[in-house]
Amino acid sequence: MTTSMAKDNTEHAQLIDEKMEEEQYLTFYLGREMFALGILNIKEILQYGQLTTVPMMPAFIRGVINLRGAVVPVVDLATRFSGQSNNITKKTCIVIIEVNTSDGKQDIGVVMDSVSEVLEIPVSDIEPPPVFGAKIRTDFIQGMGKIRDKIVIIINADKVLSIEEIAMLSQTELAEKKVDL
Amino acid sequence: MDLDPALQTFYVESREILEEVEDILLRLGQEDEASQKESLNAIFRAAHTIKGSAGLFKLQNIVIFTHVVESLLDQMRESEISIDDDIIALLLKCGDHIGELVTLVQQNNADLPPDLKESGEVLLAQLKQYSGVSVFEVKESIKNNNGKESNQKKSWHISLRFGCNVLREGMDPLSFVRYLETLGEIENIVTLDDALPRLVDFDPESCYLGLEIKFKTQVDKQSIEDAFKFIQEDSTITILSPGSRVSDYLKLIDEMPEENQRLGDVLVQCGSLTAAELAAAWPQPNIKVALNKQDRVRMPVVQETRSMRVDAGKLDEHINLVGELVIASAGAALRAQEMGDTTLNELSSILTRLVEEVRDSALHLRMIQVGPTFNKFQRIVHDMSKDLGKEIEMVISGADTDLDKTVIEKISDPLTHLIRNSVDHGIESPVEREEKNKPRKGKLYLSAYHDSGCVVIEVADDGNGLNRDRILSKAKEKGLVREDQKLMDKDIDNLIFEPGFSTADKVTNISGRGVGMDVVKRNIEELRGTIELDSRPGEGSTFRIRLPLTLAIIDGFLVNVENSSFVIPLEMVHECVELNGVNCKIDTDRNYVNLRGEILPFIRLRALFSTGGVAPKRENVVIVNYAGVKAGLVVDNLMGEFQTVIKPLGEIFSHVPGLGGSSILGNGEVALILDVPGLVNRVSSMENFSIQSAV
Repeated sequence: MTTSMAKDNTEHAQLIDEKMEEEQYLTFYLGREMFALGILNIKEILQYGQLTTVPMMPAFIRGVINLRGAVVPVVDLATRFSGQSNNITKKTCIVIIEVNTSDGKQDIGVVMDSVSEVLEIPVSDIEPPPVFGAKIRTDFIQGMGKIRDKIVIIINADKVLSIEEIAMLSQTELAEKKVDL
Repeated sequence: MDLDPALQTFYVESREILEEVEDILLRLGQEDEASQKESLNAIFRAAHTIKGSAGLFKLQNIVIFTHVVESLLDQMRESEISIDDDIIALLLKCGDHIGELVTLVQQNNADLPPDLKESGEVLLAQLKQYSGVSVFEVKESIKNNNGKESNQKKSWHISLRFGCNVLREGMDPLSFVRYLETLGEIENIVTLDDALPRLVDFDPESCYLGLEIKFKTQVDKQSIEDAFKFIQEDSTITILSPGSRVSDYLKLIDEMPEENQRLGDVLVQCGSLTAAELAAAWPQPNIKVALNKQDRVRMPVVQETRSMRVDAGKLDEHINLVGELVIASAGAALRAQEMGDTTLNELSSILTRLVEEVRDSALHLRMIQVGPTFNKFQRIVHDMSKDLGKEIEMVISGADTDLDKTVIEKISDPLTHLIRNSVDHGIESPVEREEKNKPRKGKLYLSAYHDSGCVVIEVADDGNGLNRDRILSKAKEKGLVREDQKLMDKDIDNLIFEPGFSTADKVTNISGRGVGMDVVKRNIEELRGTIELDSRPGEGSTFRIRLPLTLAIIDGFLVNVENSSFVIPLEMVHECVELNGVNCKIDTDRNYVNLRGEILPFIRLRALFSTGGVAPKRENVVIVNYAGVKAGLVVDNLMGEFQTVIKPLGEIFSHVPGLGGSSILGNGEVALILDVPGLVNRVSSMENFSIQSAV
């Protein structure tokens, strides 16, 4: 009897846990602007370094890193959003995110100027993206979160880091390069 | 009853049997009469097994079809029908058809798709021509069988060894036999008294009896088992269901304590097995049997160590780990060198050597022999030569050459294409051959051998060779060659590898399916292999495919441009020279150098990859040689040889020409592996493009 109750309790706790996780976001800065990203997709946060640039790729692809034996591509979010990259500082880090692709999951590293904290944003505090004005493609935005009177853009990782789109962009980049030479 | 696991076994078993049958059939034509008879028996048994198992699962389509095949085989066995090439071809097709039917069942397709049904009917009609057995008769007979099934009596075989306590517990062995009689009819019974001890040791209260019974009944296995409920604990009871295979009986014979030969005779006496069946399954003379029984104690151990089935996934995992080990040890060696500690250096060099050995042996685990893949082509050649009315003998050599499993899987398609081409275009028809004073029978050689770290696979024929005039005119027609261009013979031959080139004047159903030699070439290059062609007009042509032994780890040459490291596959590196050194002068600002009088075009990786930074004073040229093309790659520093564990670059980078993958260096950084042919192609196409736009 007691064991079954205990089991019920843990199950309940797990349920709460999952619910909480859904509302937890990692906030980070690109330049002076704050963004948020659901923590469920985040695998780890690394110090910036040991990056190998891959030639002939669009600017927002910084290169690849060695993540314990796996070669992981690294995307610069600032460049992806605004076309400008920020300087590397002590606080710059690479966040490893697991994204869903058509054939399974893949890890992608994302360069962030600094990571801030993990926050809970209740669903009631999340608004749909504005029609315009965010200066970022609306399909990149999952929602607008309100934190202590500030508004942060919650990023849709699967869209921003869509492997198909990145591959396509790099192909067009190559084609343009061809004309350049 | 859940038949699913049993069905799975049925699929696997039928495929294996069909493959075996195919092998036998292909050999059948060349065999002498005695071994032909044996082979026919084997094929008949195989067909019978498939029919039996299919019947068990009520797979009527397979049963009906196989039955017709079986009756033909039976007539062949009785020498009523003689063996010729046509009948072998027909039987091969029947084998395929049965395979397709099995696949159909596996895919849970209850209905026959129309095309399969049609092809089945065509085959049945052909079979009927030989055997006179029509499918309707079969259907009838099967229907009758089905109707009777519920009350039809079947023959079971029951093997009983009473436990020694049976009498003490108040049971009478005879009462069981009597009880059995109430269930059905005992056709034959043989009493075994082999267990009787010497009279001195004889205990009158113990039971030493054994019985072998052939029992005809309509009840199911359960009821028979129930009959022996009271004694099943300490007695040995084996019940073989009707239609059990000879091998099941053999197993029984082996399991029982009596002398095998004696038990075999008893089974024959019982009528459960015929003497012929026993002899066929078990052809050894008496002495051999005895020897075998002795060997059995030792044999299992030997066999187990000989080979072992391992999941391919586990192997891949192991090789990945070894790859990590190589990287880690490279890191350790680097650090040891930096520290300058002699002992540490020594230890690390021992470690490096051991790791290399481990790497080699790990890679060997993935190696399998090319033989089975080669044998598949026997069939293709056989079928095609039949269709084309050619006589072709295929000669296979080096079937025991080892090659990486992935490579073997991927080389199969290109090889099929080459072989099809040889049979279709290369080897002439018998008449044509006789006119040329060649033997009627054409020869197709398929061979594999090792050559300096590579595996070479050759497809050669003694046919007509390439028709250079036709190739040249075709190439001109397609704009691949300018009208006034003069080409060497070899260059003309190599034109067939150009995209958009197909030599067949008419499109036959064998070649000319839109897949050209360029695809073959590309497939092989994807495996980091090369293909060369050697053709002698009127004498035949040879395709030589060179493949790396493995795909996972290569020897690389590490170079450095600005801050990035790149790996060039070592096998392509021809030499390294200093740019603007004694041997290698730049005369102009064009991208070629004078290398000891030879003009060598080069690519500045610094410019191509726009790495930024300023070139150092001393630059180096790595001269690569690939498929006859020589080119220089200008880099900053040469870092030397490097054990390269290839890591895929992922989808994002899959479109980048010139990059073949990545590898991890000793210091943990990622180095990119250059795909030299891709790089050279890209640069030359870029240059062409800019020249054209300039005009």
